Amino acid sequence: MDGFLRRAAIVLLPIAMVMMLAAIWMVFAYVPDERVMGPVQRIFYFHVPAAIITFFSVFVLLAGSIGYLWTRHTAWDQLSRAATEIGLLFCTIVLITGPIWAKPAWGTWWTWEARLTTTLVLWLLLAACMMVRAYADNRDLGARLASVLGIIAALDVPIIYKAVDWWRGQHPVVFKAGEKTPLEPRMLRTFLFCMATFFVFYGLLLAIRVAIVRLEDRCQALVEASSGDRA
Amino acid sequence: MKGYSFLMWAYNVVWIGLVAYLAFLVVRVRKVSERLDRLERKTGPRS
Repeated sequence: MDGFLRRAAIVLLPIAMVMMLAAIWMVFAYVPDERVMGPVQRIFYFHVPAAIITFFSVFVLLAGSIGYLWTRHTAWDQLSRAATEIGLLFCTIVLITGPIWAKPAWGTWWTWEARLTTTLVLWLLLAACMMVRAYADNRDLGARLASVLGIIAALDVPIIYKAVDWWRGQHPVVFKAGEKTPLEPRMLRTFLFCMATFFVFYGLLLAIRVAIVRLEDRCQALVEASSGDRA
Repeated sequence: MKGYSFLMWAYNVVWIGLVAYLAFLVVRVRKVSERLDRLERKTGPRS
């Protein structure tokens, strides 16, 4: 593992674990119940951070995609590969925790509401990015196709954010640009702490995943070089 | 209590998912590092 990524992982791992335990304590013991929804509202403290991390990961993917298409430097593609997989993980968490909240709140696991549907589209686009890399004839073609899909996935993010306004969806809106948050102070503190925890986890996972991609590329280069020597 | 069972399910999904993925990455780092070592021994280090 590279020196910087190794150090980042070693520093972030214990911080992430301690923050995870503290976040669990805050969600279960510190924060009060929401008056209307009761305990099920506490899903909000990790559903929303997971959604924000998904968006952040897609913006990292966007930077990697544009960087690769512009420069053809593999470091950008390595960043994209890592961000795609981790973005897909967090998007999966969003798509599982959302319906778990929706069942007691709306009485149904899933509805083809605008924000839910556009989030599912994002999940499919991220999965498609991974699939084109896996099945492309050569690495450069896979990277280029995945970069284009990565840019399209990034275009979906503002659509997800504005979907509730544009199509008057059912999805609740807690934070709106330019408006004061309606959250009680303990709820806001818990939310911000969970947000920080998810960011630390994201940094940790990204550092390890980028390191794996680099190691895999070095293996691939050695295999290609040795097969070239034989030929 | 019903609300709590939904909350527990959601919490399990999040933290078991994240910790399982982290464990999967750690195992993968080890496996790829071992493969790289083998390849480098076979061909000699190149970078």
